[in-house]
Amino acid sequence: MKLLRELSKKYRVVSVVGMAKNAGKTTVLNYLIEEAADEGIALGITSTGRDGERKDIVTGTDKPGIYLWEDTMVTTPSGLYDMSEAGLEILRVTEYSGALGEILLCRVAEAGYVQTAGPVATADQRGICREMLDRGADMVLVDGAVDRRAIAAPEASDAVILATGAALSRSVAKVVEETMHVAGLYRLPEFSDQAARRIIAENGNSGRLTVFEKKGARFPDVTTGLAAGGVLNEAIGNETKYVYLPGALTEGVVAGVSPSKLKQIAFIVKNPTKIFIDSASWRLLRKKGLRVRVLKNVEIAALTVNPRAPEGYSFDRAALLSAMREAAGGIPVLDVRYAG
Amino acid sequence: MGANGIAVAKVDLKNIKPYGDTMNDGMMELTFTLPVPYGPEADEAAKILGRKMGLDEVSVVFSKDLGQGFTFFAMYGKCRHTVDFTAIKVAKADVEVMSREECQKYIENNIRRDVVVVGATTGTDAHTVGIDAIMNMKGFHGHYGLERYKGIEAINMGSQVSNEALVAKAIETGADAILVSQIVTQKDVHISNMTNLVEIIEAEGIRSRVVLCCGGPRISYELAQELGYDAGFGPHSYAEEVASFVLTEMVRRKLV
Repeated sequence: MKLLRELSKKYRVVSVVGMAKNAGKTTVLNYLIEEAADEGIALGITSTGRDGERKDIVTGTDKPGIYLWEDTMVTTPSGLYDMSEAGLEILRVTEYSGALGEILLCRVAEAGYVQTAGPVATADQRGICREMLDRGADMVLVDGAVDRRAIAAPEASDAVILATGAALSRSVAKVVEETMHVAGLYRLPEFSDQAARRIIAENGNSGRLTVFEKKGARFPDVTTGLAAGGVLNEAIGNETKYVYLPGALTEGVVAGVSPSKLKQIAFIVKNPTKIFIDSASWRLLRKKGLRVRVLKNVEIAALTVNPRAPEGYSFDRAALLSAMREAAGGIPVLDVRYAG
Repeated sequence: MGANGIAVAKVDLKNIKPYGDTMNDGMMELTFTLPVPYGPEADEAAKILGRKMGLDEVSVVFSKDLGQGFTFFAMYGKCRHTVDFTAIKVAKADVEVMSREECQKYIENNIRRDVVVVGATTGTDAHTVGIDAIMNMKGFHGHYGLERYKGIEAINMGSQVSNEALVAKAIETGADAILVSQIVTQKDVHISNMTNLVEIIEAEGIRSRVVLCCGGPRISYELAQELGYDAGFGPHSYAEEVASFVLTEMVRRKLV
């Protein structure tokens, strides 16, 4: 399957995010890098964590290296620069810095194995991705870290590849359920009330918590929905239709709203990465009337599955693929090790 | 011949070995417990294990009955293996550490307002020893904590704090820095707990305006990068290091 060629027609920045640690993000990245070399697509590579190290820092298990061809662009912090076997020409010492030093934007001058790490903050990642595109990359691939998925936000990535697999759970059914929960959140309906959308836009999308009534909107004096429980509940009146949360929608936020009011309103969040409710609670809360809309959802380019877990157990490859395909509702599902 | 006229074997950095009494003797001391009853069979089991670990001339110099079918051992042995020290590359971060007085001066000169630091041990972890060592007035090992620093308002929320509560407090107080401690957790739950905090901070839109640090016995700079933190403080870290990093990072990122 020519995955990358398809992606490059539609997207410029694609991030690879994982359902769990060891879900196979780096393997997917390597597959795409190899395809890019065959297809002559100029890539930029960065990571929200760290990639290319040979041993997992938590589990101690072996990890795949990252081999980059000449003229690929890549970010690496000053603390890891010496650890790359490839010849790296430093294009710019960026203003971004991480736990391993200043982030260097480099061009691969001599092909070889590379350790990459980029800015840890999503806003800074956007800056780096933009710069790599401006400097001539056809496409930028961002490797996620652990189970961090903030980079999937539509303002940071045009599309995501969601990596999942046995590392998530010992049960195939559970892996499918948890993965489809996140995929489901990424494809939540976009908020269609244009008048309300205009009000949110006027206050700056990241702006203020807004309560929409049947007529008009109010801005209660709440700085964050987190731990706002009682205050948020009081702010919801008989006429309230929607509550726009500029930040995170967590179980705690929902728990603060009384059952009758929960049935009456819909929560509006900026995008699906703002939602922190696990699949079991989500099901339960949906029964209690929870409704969530997003201003913009996340484009899922593909789901990838890894049947092996670092603990040593593994699933039947074909069974995992078919179970995931059956649930995926049209999203391409693949195991890049057996590209089929 | 060495400086005192004594013959000394030179260190071969390409093949380093443990040092006991003489260079390259490979001597190591190990202590461990086996789940077997105290007795000669237990000592023999310990020796066999030592040989399997690559030790020669293994001797059990001490063993003690721990009861309930467990035995504790102290063992000596000579290591067969060597390490090429010249080929080692590790990820490092350079932070210039200022003393408490220097930190206070730095705030006066470069920040000119109080710096708000919120800290907690998060998730299920009930151990406050780490966050207290950094934040408490009395500090640790003769290193005063952040509460004693003039110009720093240190808010220590204690242990078993939820990520939501920590972020809410940081927003409420307009915190400049968030410190998270993880000491004892099971099955690597500290990893997903720490990434969850980063994700909530991102979702709340405050990631760019806080300095985010983690600390604990299993934390390193490398892990901090992986988890999305600005710095990670491992064992043997004191308040000065944390304060120095937070203050210089605030200035570097123009958060003053």
